[in-house]
Amino acid sequence: MIAFYDTNLVLIQATLSGLVLALAIQVPLRMGVFSFAGAGSYGIGAYLSAILVLRQGMPGPVAIAVAVLVAAVIGLLLGLLIFKLNGLYLAMATVAFDLIISVIAINGGDLTGASTGLYGVLTDFTTGQMFALTVLVVGLVALSERGRMRRRVDAVRDDPELAASLGINVRRYRLVAFVVSGALGGLAGGMNVMVRTAIGPLDIGFGLIVLALTMIVVGGSRSWKGAVIGAVIFTWLPDVLAVIGEWQELVYGVIVAVAAVFLPRGLYGVIVDLTKWLGRIRRKRRTGGAEQPVDAPESVEPERVELDNTLSREQGGEVARMAAQSEVS
Amino acid sequence: MQDLVNVVTLGSIYLLFALGMSITWGTIDILNFGHGSIFMFSTFSAYLVLAETSLPLLPVVLIGVLVGAAMSLLIQVVAFEQILKRAKDKRTAEMQILIGGIGVAIIPLAIAQHQTKSNPFGLSESSYQVGTWVIGDIRITSIAALTVVVAVLLWAATAIWLKRSRHGLALRAIGVDAETAALMGIDRRRLALVTMAASGGMAGLSGVLFTYSLGAITPESGDTLLVKAFACIILGGVGSMLGVAFGAYFLAAAETVVLTQTSGSWVEAVSFGLIFLVLLLRPAGVFGRKEVRRT
Repeated sequence: MIAFYDTNLVLIQATLSGLVLALAIQVPLRMGVFSFAGAGSYGIGAYLSAILVLRQGMPGPVAIAVAVLVAAVIGLLLGLLIFKLNGLYLAMATVAFDLIISVIAINGGDLTGASTGLYGVLTDFTTGQMFALTVLVVGLVALSERGRMRRRVDAVRDDPELAASLGINVRRYRLVAFVVSGALGGLAGGMNVMVRTAIGPLDIGFGLIVLALTMIVVGGSRSWKGAVIGAVIFTWLPDVLAVIGEWQELVYGVIVAVAAVFLPRGLYGVIVDLTKWLGRIRRKRRTGGAEQPVDAPESVEPERVELDNTLSREQGGEVARMAAQSEVS
Repeated sequence: MQDLVNVVTLGSIYLLFALGMSITWGTIDILNFGHGSIFMFSTFSAYLVLAETSLPLLPVVLIGVLVGAAMSLLIQVVAFEQILKRAKDKRTAEMQILIGGIGVAIIPLAIAQHQTKSNPFGLSESSYQVGTWVIGDIRITSIAALTVVVAVLLWAATAIWLKRSRHGLALRAIGVDAETAALMGIDRRRLALVTMAASGGMAGLSGVLFTYSLGAITPESGDTLLVKAFACIILGGVGSMLGVAFGAYFLAAAETVVLTQTSGSWVEAVSFGLIFLVLLLRPAGVFGRKEVRRT
């Protein structure tokens, strides 16, 4: 275990920062805000924390905290500017934002190290701290995918007008998406530069957007679990594909293209569908062939179900609930 | 004066490239992120053919156009049509096409990067030699002149075709309301294929001409051009033919000014900044009409 940890330390670190970066793009996507600004925030976070450590001698964690805060504020300002844009326009405006950040990095002279970037960012920031921060962030994102919060986010994404009519402040949610995306991107960049000790303009260009997007597209865009799957796959895949050798880039491209076209909900969506399907088969066997569409209990007429005496416990409860509801109405 | 010549040449390259993106986006609602890859890979194909046998200009251009059109058709059939078939509404379809295009674009890029080891490649094996004319103190290369003429003619032809012909009318009808257009007996699938092929051909054409005039391109050149073309289209207004021409030459002029006034590395920021400004101040673009709302 320890030997595995030591030999793969770089990959483990890359997985963690990749995961947080993927979340920085995924969270706004889940709120229906088609923003790639997270990649630009990654650049801001990486460069700012590196500068703070190198020029001000700040300790690593403090530098990261400042970088996250600044990235979040810039995220908010960007959001205030462009949150009214929709769909493709928003996507391209944020791509432009990301690329402007990398042009600034190239033109920053001594401050950003121009085209060579910054290196020698040595701090006491450990992989353990990185892991703890990542778990914390993933936990927070996971919380937003449960209960009331999830339903609100879904409503804001799928039908903003309906959400507004239900008293949800859509504008505020969209702005929150920008702020969260900025903070997450800043965190990912800051953590990455601390453990890798270097950052350059090539690390934050168009390729970074594509990387984050591929993680989400292949993993799944509707759940943090999808981001985890994507981050793990795309950090470890090049290592596994080394067996194929020189054509690994091509295989990588084919995987992304196939996932983008045929698996719109990603691998996580496939897993969810598979478990549902397996569950249905198992239930079918238990109920002796009479399949009950448990996924959509609303469509089952209570009278008919009551005649079926092979109901499972849960189904019985469901029927009682529906009966009670129809009495009320 | 020399700067003006350069602006017109650069603008014509942008115009050729952006025109292909503009016709698919403005009519059949496809913002093809594979366009940059098509641009690069059709030039790359011409480069591969030239490694075998030396050819004059016309066959090289033809290879570029045909490969570009074929790639564009392929992407439309295997990727975009499948996405459109599966997507539940227009908004998800738009985003899926954007993401799918980015995904598909990785494949030709990976092939070219592998073959060239990411080094620049050019068309110097061609038997066509670029000539230079000097008039006073202005230098004009023959390929620059050709690029300008081709770009302007092709742009005018496309604009007239869209405005005057029955097919152009049908295509514009799809752009306004795809469902009603289908009810009027317009075969959306066939027109979409034709449009994509034309768009790909233009990408290939601009790739070959651009490479002739620049000497060499890298496999990654397509990505930068993609964002610039987007800036051109946005600036003029999506779907406007006059707009895309204005956008292309305006961007070229702005970039040339920045290039001559500063140290040069800020040039890339011009197009990104323009996208931002236009989207903030006038999202419909300079020549854009208000988008027809269909909800």
